[in-house]
Amino acid sequence: MAYTVYTASLLKEGLVAYLSIRDGETSWTTDVNRATSTETVDDSILSTEAERSEQENIVVGVYSVEVTRDGDRLVPTENRERIRAGGPTVALPAAKNTTANARVAA
Amino acid sequence: MGKYIKDRKPSEDNWMPYTGLEDSDTLPSGDIYVPLEAWKERRDELLTRNSRLGVILENTDDVSEIIDDLDRLDLVVLQFPKMVDGRAFTQARLLRERLKYKGEIRAVGDVLQDQVFYMQRCGFNAFELRDDQDLNSVLKAFDEMSVTYQGAADVDAPIWRR
Amino acid sequence: MYQYSQADHQLLLERVTQFRDQVSRRLKGELSEDEFKQQRLRNGLYLQLHAYMLRVAVPYGLLSSEQMRTLAHIARRYDRGYGHFSTRQNIQYNWPKLEEVPEILDALAAVEMHAIQTSGNCIRNTTSDPLAGVARDEVADPRPYCELIRQWSTFHPEFNFLPRKFKIAVSGAIHDRAAVAVHDIGLRLVKNESDELGLEVYVGGGLGRTPMIGKLIREFLPVHDILTYLEAILRVYNQFGRRDNLYKARIKILVHETGEDEFRKQVEAEWENVKASKLRLRDEDIEAISAHFKDPDYEILPDNDADFDNHLITNPEFAKWVDNNLELHKKPGYRIAYLSLKSPDQPPGDVTADQMDAIADLADRYSLGQIRSTHRQNLVLSDVKLTDLFELWEELTKLGLATPNYNHLTDIISCPGMDYCALATARSIPIAQALTDRFESYDYVNDLGDISLNISGCINACGHHHVANIGILGVNKKGVEVYQLTLGGSAREDAAIGKILGPAFTADEIVDAIGEVLEVYLENREDSEEDFLTTYRRIGQSPFKERLYG
Repeated sequence: MAYTVYTASLLKEGLVAYLSIRDGETSWTTDVNRATSTETVDDSILSTEAERSEQENIVVGVYSVEVTRDGDRLVPTENRERIRAGGPTVALPAAKNTTANARVAA
Repeated sequence: MGKYIKDRKPSEDNWMPYTGLEDSDTLPSGDIYVPLEAWKERRDELLTRNSRLGVILENTDDVSEIIDDLDRLDLVVLQFPKMVDGRAFTQARLLRERLKYKGEIRAVGDVLQDQVFYMQRCGFNAFELRDDQDLNSVLKAFDEMSVTYQGAADVDAPIWRR
Repeated sequence: MYQYSQADHQLLLERVTQFRDQVSRRLKGELSEDEFKQQRLRNGLYLQLHAYMLRVAVPYGLLSSEQMRTLAHIARRYDRGYGHFSTRQNIQYNWPKLEEVPEILDALAAVEMHAIQTSGNCIRNTTSDPLAGVARDEVADPRPYCELIRQWSTFHPEFNFLPRKFKIAVSGAIHDRAAVAVHDIGLRLVKNESDELGLEVYVGGGLGRTPMIGKLIREFLPVHDILTYLEAILRVYNQFGRRDNLYKARIKILVHETGEDEFRKQVEAEWENVKASKLRLRDEDIEAISAHFKDPDYEILPDNDADFDNHLITNPEFAKWVDNNLELHKKPGYRIAYLSLKSPDQPPGDVTADQMDAIADLADRYSLGQIRSTHRQNLVLSDVKLTDLFELWEELTKLGLATPNYNHLTDIISCPGMDYCALATARSIPIAQALTDRFESYDYVNDLGDISLNISGCINACGHHHVANIGILGVNKKGVEVYQLTLGGSAREDAAIGKILGPAFTADEIVDAIGEVLEVYLENREDSEEDFLTTYRRIGQSPFKERLYG
């Protein structure tokens, strides 16, 4: 079953973020697994909240991404979106950061 | 009334835009500017008016088309339909530097704080700001940079020859 | 190296202040993202797949050791400990925060660096021959002209909102190491029959979805006229370049659609109006700039050294490096050393902060404190004494910068691809790494000789696949990354656009496919002196096609 989540880039940091609504509170998380999908919240509410965040200059470039649920994880359907969610699929040059970022997206 | 700057000061804009296709008796008595096509068609008639005259050019118009009328024109309006469309920068330099035009060169359209520095260097001396622009910030932007490398309408020599 | 004047310093300070204000207006919501984007791009700041990316200009590829240390500091303090050298000799940071970019620009300005016009539809950082001033085949030093172009093009009030980006490259040597043929304007310094210095002017080269080799618009332009002529070309382009279609907006399309002769006429007509202006260079203008690029005080040295010779005999690894990564210097007793950024351990062009610091130290110790970046994403120490080479090699080996593969198969140009880039449709780096792993044998790679292999992760061709002997273009086909092969391209003085060989390969197939291409070459070359491109030009595509698709 495919669901929709909303994604954008955080204006200040530039990092990839996903819309999360918990207890009526809207926030943006860099962890796709913490995104709120249409599994639990109506698409129209998610898209309205996402666009509001863009108008409030919290995020830039809102769009929706199709995901499927795999246990606790949300996995984007498209390869590009998996890479975007997981970070570069190659080891980063500076060793101290390698493990955190080198999660293979696929 | 929009936000209008002339010679680096907030000013009153008395010019009225017209299509130039109106009947002569329906045109108001004040200063008017018309598109290049209308100017070319009705030039002789317009010159009989007891007012100042201006022309508004498309950014694809060739400025040399008004070369013979520059003494009679007090205003040339150049357009920035989108901020990223920079053709009018060239038109302004050609008017000022090559054709030695002395009247008002006015920028209209996407006239923004971050553009006016370049515009003035190219010879623009009047600016109809887009509505959302902050007048005071724009006035400061004229002096944002003090260093220029190239010659342009403001200074004719590159930095190594000054 | 060019030393900043008071005015140059002042300009950078004012620019940082201006950008800080633009960032602050954006964060407060006073600037929309669309408008801020135009401003941040003019300062090299992109929003990429994972984060912002800051592209810092390395003017015509020249860096001092002090500047390199600052680049290391920025990588460490504001990024994730590394940077990436691009095909236009610049360095890119992949993870800066918007809020901190003004601070980064402060740090850069302190060492006469910046990100001005490294993006956006304006005249970009001018690129050049990384061996400028030291090459044996040099006609004249291109750096003074690059510096004049830098000054002329920086914040040019008329040409800051062009139809599309605009790239200029200048070469001063017989061999083209700056890929001038695939730039919007390519300039080659030449001498005429009277021994006067001038330029060949090529216009309308470029890669992307419509690759084109630049057209020779003028065979000999006296050097004094360089800037007036550039101004004329840019003015024609600003007025008549297409603005209705992003993909047809580069000057190559204007030249193509207008026709070479008519375009030349338009430029020459405009030039008549500007050629006598104060932009025309006088002898003293050229001399004043050239004074910044005078030869250092080279020592008078013999061109041989017994210890060096001894190391060559006793240390085969050193001998490999000497064979492949050195170039003769115009002065006896000196050599030019290529630092390979194409090791098996790091993506092509990537350098860690620790490596940068170490390279700066090595430049101070062995190469007069200067480093150059190259179009093929490597670094150069340009003035190393023959007697220092062994020590330098030992240090580089420890740093992983001594892979002996310069201009060889694994000296791969690769764009960041879909691992970083928002535009990419396929990954490039993993393919580069797979190829590097597969062809790790020095003997095999060395036997292949001079060859270029470039990879782009989308049709925009930042990895220059069109002008590689073997080009790989990654595309997205129904959600799967597939890779198209082109053969026969060259970015040198015999520039050519490669031709597509046939249907694309999957990521799993592409490495084997390259292996087959190389086998066809080895089977068909006349002898080990005949390089890949020569063989390809002699035998054509068919034998390769038959092997791969037959």
